[in-house]
Amino acid sequence: MNILNIQKKLPLIVGLAVLLCALPFLVRFVAGNQYPLLIMCIILIYIIAVSGLDILFGYSGQISLGHAAFFTLGAYTSGLLNIYFNLPLYLTIPAGTILATLIGALLAYPASKLKFHFLSLATVAFGEITYYFLYKSPGGFTRDFKGINVISIGFLGEDYLKWYFFLLAFVVIVLLGKTSLIKSRTGRAFISIRENTHAADGMGINVRKNKIIAFAVSAFLTGLAGALYVHLIKYISPETSMQKQSVLFLTMLLFGGTASIMGTIMGVVCIEVLMEAIRPLQEYQMLFYGVLLLIVIVALPGGIYGGLKNVAQNIRKAALKRLGRNTDNQKKVEKGGEA
Amino acid sequence: MLETNNVTINFGGLIAVNNVSIKVQPHKITALIGPNGAGKTTLFNCISGVYKPTSGEVILDGQHLEGKRGFQINAAGIARTYQVINLFWKMSVLENVLVGMNSRLKASFWDSLLSTKKKREEERRIHERAHELLQFVHLDEYADAPAASLSYGKQRLLEIVRGLASDPKVILLDEPAAGMNTAEKAELDILLNKIIEMGVTILVVEHDMKLIMDVSDYIYVLCNGMLLAEGDPDKIQKNPEVIAAYLGGDE
Repeated sequence: MNILNIQKKLPLIVGLAVLLCALPFLVRFVAGNQYPLLIMCIILIYIIAVSGLDILFGYSGQISLGHAAFFTLGAYTSGLLNIYFNLPLYLTIPAGTILATLIGALLAYPASKLKFHFLSLATVAFGEITYYFLYKSPGGFTRDFKGINVISIGFLGEDYLKWYFFLLAFVVIVLLGKTSLIKSRTGRAFISIRENTHAADGMGINVRKNKIIAFAVSAFLTGLAGALYVHLIKYISPETSMQKQSVLFLTMLLFGGTASIMGTIMGVVCIEVLMEAIRPLQEYQMLFYGVLLLIVIVALPGGIYGGLKNVAQNIRKAALKRLGRNTDNQKKVEKGGEA
Repeated sequence: MLETNNVTINFGGLIAVNNVSIKVQPHKITALIGPNGAGKTTLFNCISGVYKPTSGEVILDGQHLEGKRGFQINAAGIARTYQVINLFWKMSVLENVLVGMNSRLKASFWDSLLSTKKKREEERRIHERAHELLQFVHLDEYADAPAASLSYGKQRLLEIVRGLASDPKVILLDEPAAGMNTAEKAELDILLNKIIEMGVTILVVEHDMKLIMDVSDYIYVLCNGMLLAEGDPDKIQKNPEVIAAYLGGDE
Protein backbone atom coordinates (compact mmCIF):
# COMPACT_ATOMS: atom_id res chain seq x y z
CA MET A 1 0.00 0.00 0.00
CA ASN A 2 2.86 2.30 0.85
CA ILE A 3 4.52 1.61 -2.48
CA LEU A 4 1.25 2.29 -4.28
CA ASN A 5 1.06 5.67 -2.58
CA ILE A 6 4.54 6.59 -3.66
CA GLN A 7 3.82 5.53 -7.23
CA LYS A 8 0.74 7.71 -7.30
CA LYS A 9 2.67 10.68 -6.01
CA LEU A 10 5.68 10.09 -8.24
CA PRO A 11 4.68 12.50 -11.04
CA LEU A 12 4.04 15.20 -8.45
CA ILE A 13 7.44 14.66 -6.80
CA VAL A 14 9.29 14.68 -10.13
CA GLY A 15 7.41 17.78 -11.26
CA LEU A 16 8.23 19.58 -8.04
CA ALA A 17 11.89 18.61 -8.27
CA VAL A 18 12.14 19.89 -11.87
CA LEU A 19 10.43 23.13 -10.89
CA LEU A 20 12.71 23.69 -7.87
CA CYS A 21 15.80 23.03 -10.02
CA ALA A 22 14.66 25.25 -12.89
CA LEU A 23 13.44 28.10 -10.70
CA PRO A 24 16.81 29.70 -9.79
CA PHE A 25 17.98 29.69 -13.43
CA LEU A 26 14.72 31.27 -14.47
CA VAL A 27 14.92 33.88 -11.72
CA ARG A 28 18.49 34.76 -12.57
CA PHE A 29 17.62 35.03 -16.26
CA VAL A 30 14.65 37.31 -15.61
CA ALA A 31 16.26 39.50 -12.94
CA GLY A 32 19.67 39.66 -14.56
CA ASN A 33 21.48 39.73 -11.21
CA GLN A 34 22.13 37.59 -8.17
CA TYR A 35 20.01 39.48 -5.64
CA PRO A 36 16.75 37.51 -6.02
CA LEU A 37 18.81 34.33 -5.67
CA LEU A 38 20.09 35.59 -2.32
CA ILE A 39 16.50 36.13 -1.19
CA MET A 40 15.68 32.57 -2.28
CA CYS A 41 18.60 31.30 -0.21
CA ILE A 42 17.36 33.25 2.81
CA ILE A 43 13.89 31.79 2.27
CA LEU A 44 15.39 28.27 2.34
CA ILE A 45 17.22 29.06 5.58
CA TYR A 46 14.10 30.50 7.16
CA ILE A 47 12.15 27.38 6.16
CA ILE A 48 14.59 25.37 8.30
CA ALA A 49 14.35 27.87 11.18
CA VAL A 50 10.55 28.12 11.12
CA SER A 51 10.24 24.31 10.81
CA GLY A 52 12.05 24.24 14.13
CA LEU A 53 9.58 26.67 15.67
CA ASP A 54 6.72 24.61 14.19
CA ILE A 55 7.89 21.45 16.00
CA LEU A 56 7.75 23.33 19.29
CA PHE A 57 4.76 25.63 18.84
CA GLY A 58 2.71 24.05 16.06
CA TYR A 59 2.94 20.41 17.14
CA SER A 60 3.76 20.49 20.85
CA GLY A 61 1.82 23.65 21.71
CA GLN A 62 4.76 25.24 23.54
CA ILE A 63 5.07 28.87 22.56
CA SER A 64 8.46 30.48 22.11
CA LEU A 65 8.96 34.20 21.68
CA GLY A 66 12.73 33.90 21.88
CA HIS A 67 13.54 31.62 19.00
CA ALA A 68 15.86 34.14 17.35
CA ALA A 69 18.21 33.42 20.26
CA PHE A 70 18.76 29.84 19.00
CA PHE A 71 19.30 31.23 15.52
CA THR A 72 22.04 33.61 16.71
CA LEU A 73 23.52 31.00 19.04
CA GLY A 74 24.10 28.73 16.05
CA ALA A 75 25.41 31.62 13.98
CA TYR A 76 27.76 33.15 16.57
CA THR A 77 29.15 29.79 17.71
CA SER A 78 30.04 28.77 14.19
CA GLY A 79 31.45 32.21 13.33
CA LEU A 80 33.47 32.69 16.51
CA LEU A 81 34.94 29.16 16.51
CA ASN A 82 36.21 29.87 13.01
CA ILE A 83 37.54 33.32 13.92
CA TYR A 84 39.33 32.39 17.15
CA PHE A 85 40.41 28.81 16.55
CA ASN A 86 40.51 28.78 12.78
CA LEU A 87 38.43 25.61 12.77
CA PRO A 88 37.02 24.53 9.40
CA LEU A 89 33.35 25.30 8.79
CA TYR A 90 32.39 21.64 8.44
CA LEU A 91 33.19 21.43 12.15
CA THR A 92 31.95 24.83 13.32
CA ILE A 93 28.51 24.61 11.72
CA PRO A 94 27.71 21.31 13.49
CA ALA A 95 29.22 22.74 16.68
CA GLY A 96 26.92 25.78 16.51
CA THR A 97 23.94 23.54 15.87
CA ILE A 98 24.80 21.25 18.76
CA LEU A 99 25.33 24.13 21.19
CA ALA A 100 21.94 25.58 20.26
CA THR A 101 20.39 22.13 20.80
CA LEU A 102 22.01 21.72 24.22
CA ILE A 103 20.91 25.17 25.36
CA GLY A 104 17.43 24.43 24.04
CA ALA A 105 17.29 21.23 26.10
CA LEU A 106 18.66 23.08 29.13
CA LEU A 107 16.08 25.85 28.78
CA ALA A 108 13.39 23.18 28.46
CA TYR A 109 14.10 21.88 31.96
CA PRO A 110 12.57 24.86 33.77
CA ALA A 111 10.35 25.80 30.81
CA SER A 112 8.62 22.40 30.75
CA LYS A 113 6.91 23.35 34.00
CA LEU A 114 5.51 26.59 32.59
CA LYS A 115 2.34 27.09 30.61
CA PHE A 116 0.96 29.65 28.17
CA HIS A 117 1.85 33.24 29.06
CA PHE A 118 4.37 32.19 31.71
CA LEU A 119 6.23 30.18 29.09
CA SER A 120 6.09 33.04 26.59
CA LEU A 121 7.52 35.43 29.19
CA ALA A 122 10.32 33.00 30.02
CA THR A 123 11.23 32.66 26.34
CA VAL A 124 11.12 36.44 25.84
CA ALA A 125 13.53 36.72 28.76
CA PHE A 126 15.78 34.07 27.23
CA GLY A 127 15.89 36.03 23.97
CA GLU A 128 16.69 39.27 25.77
CA ILE A 129 19.44 37.65 27.85
CA THR A 130 21.06 36.31 24.69
CA TYR A 131 20.80 39.71 23.03
CA TYR A 132 22.44 41.59 25.92
CA PHE A 133 25.08 38.92 26.32
CA LEU A 134 26.11 39.28 22.67
CA TYR A 135 25.78 43.05 22.82
CA LYS A 136 28.08 43.43 25.81
CA SER A 137 29.98 40.20 26.29
CA PRO A 138 32.68 39.55 28.93
CA GLY A 139 35.93 40.85 27.46
CA GLY A 140 34.13 41.74 24.27
CA PHE A 141 34.75 38.32 22.72
CA THR A 142 31.62 38.59 20.59
CA ARG A 143 32.81 41.98 19.24
CA ASP A 144 29.72 43.39 20.94
CA PHE A 145 27.45 45.74 18.96
CA LYS A 146 29.79 45.77 15.95
CA GLY A 147 28.90 42.18 15.15
CA ILE A 148 31.25 39.69 13.49
CA ASN A 149 32.47 39.32 9.93
CA VAL A 150 32.90 35.68 8.96
CA ILE A 151 33.99 33.72 5.92
CA SER A 152 31.75 32.03 3.41
CA ILE A 153 31.69 28.28 2.88
CA GLY A 154 34.75 27.72 0.65
CA PHE A 155 33.34 25.74 -2.26
CA LEU A 156 30.22 27.90 -2.45
CA GLY A 157 31.80 31.35 -2.23
CA GLU A 158 29.43 34.05 -3.33
CA ASP A 159 27.80 31.99 -6.03
CA TYR A 160 24.21 32.07 -4.81
CA LEU A 161 23.20 29.52 -7.41
CA LYS A 162 25.46 26.97 -5.75
CA TRP A 163 24.23 28.12 -2.33
CA TYR A 164 20.65 27.61 -3.47
CA PHE A 165 21.21 23.94 -4.30
CA PHE A 166 23.31 23.41 -1.18
CA LEU A 167 20.53 24.84 1.02
CA LEU A 168 17.81 23.08 -0.96
CA ALA A 169 19.45 19.76 -0.06
CA PHE A 170 19.34 20.76 3.62
CA VAL A 171 15.68 21.76 3.38
CA VAL A 172 14.72 18.47 1.73
CA ILE A 173 16.53 16.47 4.43
CA VAL A 174 15.03 18.59 7.21
CA LEU A 175 11.49 18.30 5.87
CA LEU A 176 11.84 14.52 5.36
CA GLY A 177 13.10 14.20 8.93
CA LYS A 178 10.29 16.39 10.23
CA THR A 179 7.65 14.34 8.40
CA SER A 180 9.12 11.10 9.65
CA LEU A 181 9.28 12.35 13.23
CA ILE A 182 5.74 13.72 13.19
CA LYS A 183 4.35 10.44 11.84
CA SER A 184 5.81 8.46 14.70
CA ARG A 185 5.13 7.87 18.37
CA THR A 186 7.20 10.96 19.17
CA GLY A 187 5.10 13.16 16.88
CA ARG A 188 1.90 11.74 18.32
CA ALA A 189 3.23 12.39 21.81
CA PHE A 190 3.93 16.04 20.88
CA ILE A 191 0.43 16.53 19.47
CA SER A 192 -1.25 14.80 22.40
CA ILE A 193 0.58 17.15 24.79
CA ARG A 194 -0.70 20.11 22.78
CA GLU A 195 -4.23 18.74 22.73
CA ASN A 196 -4.55 17.67 26.35
CA THR A 197 -1.50 17.52 28.62
CA HIS A 198 -3.43 15.92 31.46
CA ALA A 199 -4.76 13.07 29.33
CA ALA A 200 -1.37 12.59 27.64
CA ASP A 201 0.14 11.86 31.07
CA GLY A 202 -2.69 9.42 31.82
CA MET A 203 -2.08 7.63 28.49
CA GLY A 204 1.50 6.84 29.40
CA ILE A 205 3.28 9.77 27.79
CA ASN A 206 6.18 11.23 29.70
CA VAL A 207 5.15 14.85 29.23
CA ARG A 208 8.30 16.43 30.63
CA LYS A 209 10.65 14.26 28.58
CA ASN A 210 8.74 14.90 25.37
CA LYS A 211 8.64 18.66 25.98
CA ILE A 212 12.41 18.60 26.40
CA ILE A 213 12.79 16.58 23.18
CA ALA A 214 10.55 19.09 21.36
CA PHE A 215 12.63 22.01 22.64
CA ALA A 216 15.88 20.30 21.66
CA VAL A 217 14.72 19.34 18.14
CA SER A 218 13.33 22.82 17.66
CA ALA A 219 16.55 24.50 18.81
CA PHE A 220 18.55 22.10 16.63
CA LEU A 221 16.77 23.18 13.46
CA THR A 222 16.73 26.89 14.27
CA GLY A 223 20.38 26.75 15.37
CA LEU A 224 21.34 24.93 12.14
CA ALA A 225 19.54 27.62 10.14
CA GLY A 226 21.48 30.32 12.00
CA ALA A 227 24.82 28.59 11.46
CA LEU A 228 24.13 28.36 7.71
CA TYR A 229 22.80 31.93 7.56
CA VAL A 230 25.91 33.50 9.06
CA HIS A 231 28.16 32.04 6.36
CA LEU A 232 25.77 33.03 3.58
CA ILE A 233 25.54 36.66 4.72
CA LYS A 234 29.12 36.63 6.10
CA TYR A 235 28.11 38.96 8.89
CA ILE A 236 25.95 38.87 12.00
CA SER A 237 25.26 41.36 14.76
CA PRO A 238 23.41 41.06 18.08
CA GLU A 239 20.43 42.75 16.44
CA THR A 240 19.53 39.42 14.85
CA SER A 241 18.64 38.03 18.26
CA MET A 242 16.30 40.90 19.03
CA GLN A 243 12.64 40.38 19.70
CA LYS A 244 11.91 41.51 16.14
CA GLN A 245 13.49 38.40 14.63
CA SER A 246 11.62 36.06 16.98
CA VAL A 247 8.38 37.78 16.08
CA LEU A 248 9.28 37.42 12.40
CA PHE A 249 9.60 33.63 12.81
CA LEU A 250 6.31 33.45 14.67
CA THR A 251 4.56 35.65 12.08
CA MET A 252 5.81 33.41 9.27
CA LEU A 253 4.59 30.30 11.08
CA LEU A 254 1.16 31.66 12.00
CA PHE A 255 0.65 33.33 8.62
CA GLY A 256 1.39 30.09 6.75
CA GLY A 257 -0.38 27.81 9.20
CA THR A 258 0.96 25.78 12.12
CA ALA A 259 1.53 22.04 12.34
CA SER A 260 2.09 21.36 8.65
CA ILE A 261 4.93 21.19 6.17
CA MET A 262 3.19 23.29 3.52
CA GLY A 263 2.10 25.97 6.00
CA THR A 264 5.67 26.64 7.05
CA ILE A 265 6.86 26.91 3.46
CA MET A 266 3.99 29.17 2.38
CA GLY A 267 4.36 31.42 5.41
CA VAL A 268 8.09 31.90 4.94
CA VAL A 269 7.80 32.57 1.21
CA CYS A 270 4.89 35.03 1.54
CA ILE A 271 6.32 37.03 4.44
CA GLU A 272 9.87 37.16 3.09
CA VAL A 273 8.70 38.31 -0.36
CA LEU A 274 6.39 40.84 1.27
CA MET A 275 9.19 42.16 3.48
CA GLU A 276 11.39 42.59 0.41
CA ALA A 277 8.60 44.46 -1.36
CA ILE A 278 8.23 46.92 1.50
CA ARG A 279 11.94 47.27 2.20
CA PRO A 280 11.81 51.10 1.87
CA LEU A 281 9.41 51.12 4.83
CA GLN A 282 11.69 49.03 6.99
CA GLU A 283 11.15 51.20 10.07
CA TYR A 284 7.55 50.06 10.12
CA GLN A 285 8.47 46.34 9.96
CA MET A 286 7.09 45.58 13.43
CA LEU A 287 3.87 47.36 12.53
CA PHE A 288 3.50 45.11 9.50
CA TYR A 289 4.08 41.98 11.58
CA GLY A 290 1.49 43.17 14.04
CA VAL A 291 -1.14 43.86 11.43
CA LEU A 292 -0.44 40.58 9.61
CA LEU A 293 -0.66 38.59 12.84
CA LEU A 294 -3.92 40.28 13.71
CA ILE A 295 -5.40 39.53 10.29
CA VAL A 296 -4.33 35.90 10.48
CA ILE A 297 -5.56 35.34 14.02
CA VAL A 298 -8.93 36.98 13.41
CA ALA A 299 -9.68 35.93 9.83
CA LEU A 300 -7.57 32.83 9.17
CA PRO A 301 -6.91 30.87 12.35
CA GLY A 302 -5.37 28.03 10.31
CA GLY A 303 -3.07 30.38 8.38
CA ILE A 304 -3.22 30.66 4.60
CA TYR A 305 -2.57 26.95 4.19
CA GLY A 306 -5.45 26.14 6.53
CA GLY A 307 -7.63 28.61 4.63
CA LEU A 308 -6.76 27.08 1.26
CA LYS A 309 -7.45 23.60 2.60
CA ASN A 310 -10.89 24.71 3.75
CA VAL A 311 -11.65 26.24 0.35
CA ALA A 312 -10.50 23.04 -1.40
CA GLN A 313 -12.65 20.94 0.91
CA ASN A 314 -15.71 23.09 0.28
CA ILE A 315 -15.19 22.88 -3.47
CA ARG A 316 -14.85 19.10 -3.25
CA LYS A 317 -17.98 18.86 -1.12
CA ALA A 318 -19.93 21.02 -3.55
CA ALA A 319 -18.69 18.95 -6.49
CA LEU A 320 -19.63 15.72 -4.73
CA LYS A 321 -23.07 17.07 -4.04
CA ARG A 322 -23.62 17.97 -7.67
CA LEU A 323 -22.24 14.65 -8.91
CA GLY A 324 -24.05 12.27 -6.65
CA ARG A 325 -26.88 13.92 -4.81
CA ASN A 326 -28.49 10.52 -4.40
CA THR A 327 -25.58 8.73 -2.75
CA ASP A 328 -25.04 11.72 -0.49
CA ASN A 329 -28.62 11.66 0.66
CA GLN A 330 -28.38 7.96 1.31
CA LYS A 331 -25.40 8.54 3.55
CA LYS A 332 -27.27 11.20 5.47
CA VAL A 333 -30.16 8.84 6.08
CA GLU A 334 -27.78 6.17 7.31
CA LYS A 335 -26.11 8.58 9.71
CA GLY A 336 -29.43 9.91 10.92
CA GLY A 337 -30.57 6.37 11.63
CA GLU A 338 -27.59 5.68 13.82
CA ALA A 339 -27.92 8.79 15.96
CA MET B 1 -4.55 -7.71 42.28
CA LEU B 2 -5.03 -3.96 42.63
CA GLU B 3 -5.50 -2.75 46.17
CA THR B 4 -5.44 0.41 48.20
CA ASN B 5 -4.41 0.20 51.85
CA ASN B 6 -5.69 2.88 54.21
CA VAL B 7 -5.47 5.59 51.58
CA THR B 8 -6.09 9.11 52.87
CA ILE B 9 -6.10 12.19 50.67
CA ASN B 10 -6.04 15.52 52.41
CA PHE B 11 -6.46 18.78 50.49
CA GLY B 12 -5.17 21.41 52.92
CA GLY B 13 -7.41 20.30 55.79
CA LEU B 14 -10.26 18.93 53.71
CA ILE B 15 -10.16 15.16 53.92
CA ALA B 16 -11.49 13.98 50.55
CA VAL B 17 -10.70 10.31 51.05
CA ASN B 18 -10.36 8.93 54.55
CA ASN B 19 -8.60 5.67 55.28
CA VAL B 20 -10.05 3.72 52.37
CA SER B 21 -8.95 0.16 51.61
CA ILE B 22 -10.35 -1.63 48.60
CA LYS B 23 -9.34 -4.81 46.81
CA VAL B 24 -9.97 -5.36 43.13
CA GLN B 25 -10.16 -9.06 42.25
CA PRO B 26 -8.64 -10.15 38.93
CA HIS B 27 -10.99 -10.74 35.97
CA LYS B 28 -13.91 -9.26 37.89
CA ILE B 29 -15.85 -6.01 37.66
CA THR B 30 -15.49 -4.06 40.86
CA ALA B 31 -17.66 -0.96 41.28
CA LEU B 32 -17.22 2.12 43.37
CA ILE B 33 -20.46 3.94 44.10
CA GLY B 34 -21.64 6.67 46.41
CA PRO B 35 -23.37 10.05 46.49
CA ASN B 36 -21.84 13.08 44.78
CA GLY B 37 -18.74 14.35 46.55
CA ALA B 38 -18.10 11.00 48.23
CA GLY B 39 -14.50 10.96 46.93
CA LYS B 40 -14.85 8.33 44.21
CA THR B 41 -13.12 10.30 41.48
CA THR B 42 -10.51 11.54 43.96
CA LEU B 43 -9.65 7.95 44.79
CA PHE B 44 -9.44 7.20 41.03
CA ASN B 45 -7.12 10.14 40.53
CA CYS B 46 -4.99 8.89 43.36
CA ILE B 47 -4.70 5.38 41.88
CA SER B 48 -3.88 6.77 38.43
CA GLY B 49 -1.23 9.16 39.68
CA VAL B 50 -2.94 12.55 39.35
CA TYR B 51 -2.81 13.01 43.14
CA LYS B 52 -0.34 11.61 45.60
CA PRO B 53 -2.03 10.04 48.63
CA THR B 54 -1.33 11.88 51.91
CA SER B 55 -0.90 8.45 53.48
CA GLY B 56 -1.58 4.85 52.57
CA GLU B 57 -0.53 2.53 49.78
CA VAL B 58 -1.62 1.70 46.25
CA ILE B 59 -0.40 -1.72 45.15
CA LEU B 60 -0.71 -3.49 41.79
CA ASP B 61 0.45 -7.12 41.83
CA GLY B 62 2.88 -6.40 44.65
CA GLN B 63 4.26 -3.24 43.04
CA HIS B 64 3.89 0.00 45.01
CA LEU B 65 2.39 2.78 42.90
CA GLU B 66 1.65 5.56 45.39
CA GLY B 67 3.38 8.80 44.44
CA LYS B 68 4.33 7.62 40.94
CA ARG B 69 3.51 9.86 38.01
CA GLY B 70 0.62 9.18 35.63
CA PHE B 71 2.66 7.87 32.72
CA GLN B 72 4.55 5.46 35.00
CA ILE B 73 1.31 4.08 36.38
CA ASN B 74 0.01 3.62 32.83
CA ALA B 75 3.18 1.69 31.99
CA ALA B 76 2.73 -0.44 35.12
CA GLY B 77 -0.61 -1.63 33.70
CA ILE B 78 -3.39 0.71 34.83
CA ALA B 79 -5.36 2.51 32.12
CA ARG B 80 -8.19 4.95 32.74
CA THR B 81 -11.00 6.98 31.26
CA TYR B 82 -12.22 10.34 32.50
CA GLN B 83 -15.46 11.63 33.94
CA VAL B 84 -15.21 14.71 31.74
CA ILE B 85 -14.19 13.38 28.33
CA ASN B 86 -10.51 14.05 27.76
CA LEU B 87 -9.84 13.01 24.18
CA PHE B 88 -7.23 14.53 21.88
CA TRP B 89 -9.87 16.44 19.94
CA LYS B 90 -8.00 17.43 16.80
CA MET B 91 -6.36 14.04 16.36
CA SER B 92 -8.18 11.36 14.39
CA VAL B 93 -10.03 8.57 16.14
CA LEU B 94 -7.27 6.16 15.06
CA GLU B 95 -4.50 8.44 16.33
CA ASN B 96 -6.20 8.67 19.71
CA VAL B 97 -5.93 4.89 19.99
CA LEU B 98 -2.30 4.97 18.78
CA VAL B 99 -1.40 7.48 21.51
CA GLY B 100 -2.94 5.07 24.01
CA MET B 101 -0.40 2.43 22.95
CA ASN B 102 2.55 4.65 23.75
CA SER B 103 3.84 2.83 26.81
CA ARG B 104 4.07 -0.47 24.91
CA LEU B 105 6.12 0.88 21.99
CA LYS B 106 9.77 0.07 21.46
CA ALA B 107 10.88 2.51 18.73
CA SER B 108 13.35 5.07 20.04
CA PHE B 109 13.58 8.75 19.10
CA TRP B 110 16.21 7.91 16.47
CA ASP B 111 14.06 5.12 15.03
CA SER B 112 11.26 7.65 14.74
CA LEU B 113 13.43 10.31 13.12
CA LEU B 114 15.11 8.00 10.63
CA SER B 115 12.08 5.77 9.89
CA THR B 116 14.14 2.65 10.54
CA LYS B 117 12.84 -0.79 9.73
CA LYS B 118 12.04 -1.26 13.42
CA LYS B 119 9.80 1.83 13.41
CA ARG B 120 8.06 0.96 10.14
CA GLU B 121 7.30 -2.58 11.28
CA GLU B 122 6.05 -1.38 14.65
CA GLU B 123 3.86 1.27 13.03
CA ARG B 124 2.32 -1.31 10.68
CA ARG B 125 1.65 -3.63 13.59
CA ILE B 126 0.06 -0.98 15.83
CA HIS B 127 -2.06 0.43 13.02
CA GLU B 128 -3.51 -3.07 12.51
CA ARG B 129 -4.04 -3.47 16.23
CA ALA B 130 -5.68 -0.04 16.50
CA HIS B 131 -8.14 -0.92 13.73
CA GLU B 132 -8.95 -4.18 15.54
CA LEU B 133 -9.63 -2.28 18.74
CA LEU B 134 -11.86 0.19 16.91
CA GLN B 135 -13.78 -2.70 15.31
CA PHE B 136 -14.23 -4.04 18.82
CA VAL B 137 -16.39 -1.00 19.71
CA HIS B 138 -17.75 -0.48 16.16
CA LEU B 139 -15.86 2.77 15.61
CA ASP B 140 -13.64 1.62 12.76
CA GLU B 141 -15.69 3.45 10.12
CA TYR B 142 -14.81 6.72 11.88
CA ALA B 143 -11.08 5.90 12.11
CA ASP B 144 -9.95 8.92 10.10
CA ALA B 145 -12.47 11.41 11.47
CA PRO B 146 -11.37 13.87 14.14
CA ALA B 147 -12.28 12.71 17.65
CA ALA B 148 -14.28 15.89 18.20
CA SER B 149 -16.73 14.92 15.44
CA LEU B 150 -17.99 11.80 17.28
CA SER B 151 -21.26 11.78 19.18
CA TYR B 152 -21.03 11.92 22.96
CA GLY B 153 -21.66 8.23 23.51
CA LYS B 154 -19.10 7.27 20.84
CA GLN B 155 -16.55 9.58 22.47
CA ARG B 156 -16.99 7.56 25.67
CA LEU B 157 -16.38 4.34 23.74
CA LEU B 158 -13.28 5.85 22.17
CA GLU B 159 -11.96 6.74 25.62
CA ILE B 160 -12.42 3.12 26.67
CA VAL B 161 -10.52 1.68 23.67
CA ARG B 162 -7.83 4.31 24.03
CA GLY B 163 -7.38 2.97 27.55
CA LEU B 164 -7.43 -0.66 26.38
CA ALA B 165 -4.79 0.17 23.76
CA SER B 166 -2.07 0.11 26.42
CA ASP B 167 -2.86 -3.58 27.15
CA PRO B 168 -3.59 -2.79 30.80
CA LYS B 169 -4.06 -5.26 33.62
CA VAL B 170 -6.73 -3.01 35.10
CA ILE B 171 -8.83 -0.30 33.49
CA LEU B 172 -10.44 2.40 35.61
CA LEU B 173 -13.70 3.62 34.10
CA ASP B 174 -14.98 6.90 35.50
CA GLU B 175 -18.73 7.13 34.79
CA PRO B 176 -18.62 5.37 31.41
CA ALA B 177 -22.41 5.52 30.99
CA ALA B 178 -22.75 9.27 31.60
CA GLY B 179 -24.43 10.91 28.60
CA MET B 180 -25.29 7.60 26.95
CA ASN B 181 -28.80 6.76 25.79
CA THR B 182 -30.56 3.55 26.76
CA ALA B 183 -29.40 1.63 23.69
CA GLU B 184 -25.82 2.71 24.22
CA LYS B 185 -26.02 1.70 27.88
CA ALA B 186 -27.16 -1.77 26.88
CA GLU B 187 -24.19 -2.01 24.52
CA LEU B 188 -21.89 -0.82 27.29
CA ASP B 189 -23.13 -3.64 29.50
CA ILE B 190 -22.07 -6.14 26.83
CA LEU B 191 -18.81 -4.29 26.21
CA LEU B 192 -17.80 -4.44 29.89
CA ASN B 193 -18.24 -8.20 29.86
CA LYS B 194 -16.21 -8.46 26.66
CA ILE B 195 -13.40 -6.48 28.29
CA ILE B 196 -13.37 -9.02 31.14
CA GLU B 197 -13.17 -11.82 28.55
CA MET B 198 -10.11 -10.07 27.09
CA GLY B 199 -8.45 -10.65 30.45
CA VAL B 200 -8.63 -7.05 31.64
CA THR B 201 -9.90 -6.30 35.13
CA ILE B 202 -12.34 -3.42 35.62
CA LEU B 203 -12.79 -0.89 38.40
CA VAL B 204 -15.74 1.33 37.61
CA VAL B 205 -17.31 4.44 39.12
CA GLU B 206 -20.89 4.87 37.98
CA HIS B 207 -24.15 6.53 39.00
CA ASP B 208 -26.36 4.37 36.85
CA MET B 209 -27.58 1.84 39.44
CA LYS B 210 -29.24 -0.48 36.96
CA LEU B 211 -25.99 -0.90 35.05
CA ILE B 212 -23.95 -1.30 38.23
CA MET B 213 -26.25 -3.92 39.76
CA ASP B 214 -26.26 -5.79 36.42
CA VAL B 215 -22.57 -5.98 35.75
CA SER B 216 -20.63 -5.73 39.01
CA ASP B 217 -19.23 -8.66 40.87
CA TYR B 218 -18.37 -6.66 43.96
CA ILE B 219 -19.31 -3.16 45.12
CA TYR B 220 -17.69 -0.65 47.44
CA VAL B 221 -19.82 2.24 48.70
CA LEU B 222 -18.09 5.50 49.58
CA CYS B 223 -19.75 8.27 51.56
CA ASN B 224 -18.08 11.48 52.75
CA GLY B 225 -14.69 10.05 51.91
CA MET B 226 -15.16 6.94 54.01
CA LEU B 227 -15.99 3.37 53.13
CA LEU B 228 -19.63 2.85 54.08
CA ALA B 229 -20.24 -0.70 52.91
CA GLU B 230 -18.96 -3.42 50.63
CA GLY B 231 -20.34 -6.62 49.21
CA ASP B 232 -22.02 -8.19 46.22
CA PRO B 233 -24.88 -6.33 44.50
CA ASP B 234 -27.64 -8.16 46.39
CA LYS B 235 -26.11 -7.39 49.75
CA ILE B 236 -25.55 -3.71 48.87
CA GLN B 237 -29.11 -3.25 47.64
CA LYS B 238 -30.46 -4.47 50.97
CA ASN B 239 -28.01 -2.53 53.17
CA PRO B 240 -30.02 0.06 55.18
CA GLU B 241 -27.03 2.38 55.58
CA VAL B 242 -26.51 2.51 51.81
CA ILE B 243 -30.19 3.18 51.20
CA ALA B 244 -30.08 5.96 53.81
CA ALA B 245 -27.01 7.54 52.21
CA TYR B 246 -28.68 7.57 48.80
CA LEU B 247 -32.12 8.70 49.90
CA GLY B 248 -30.93 11.33 52.36
CA GLY B 249 -31.14 9.33 55.59
CA ASP B 250 -33.65 9.40 58.42
CA GLU B 251 -32.74 11.33 61.52
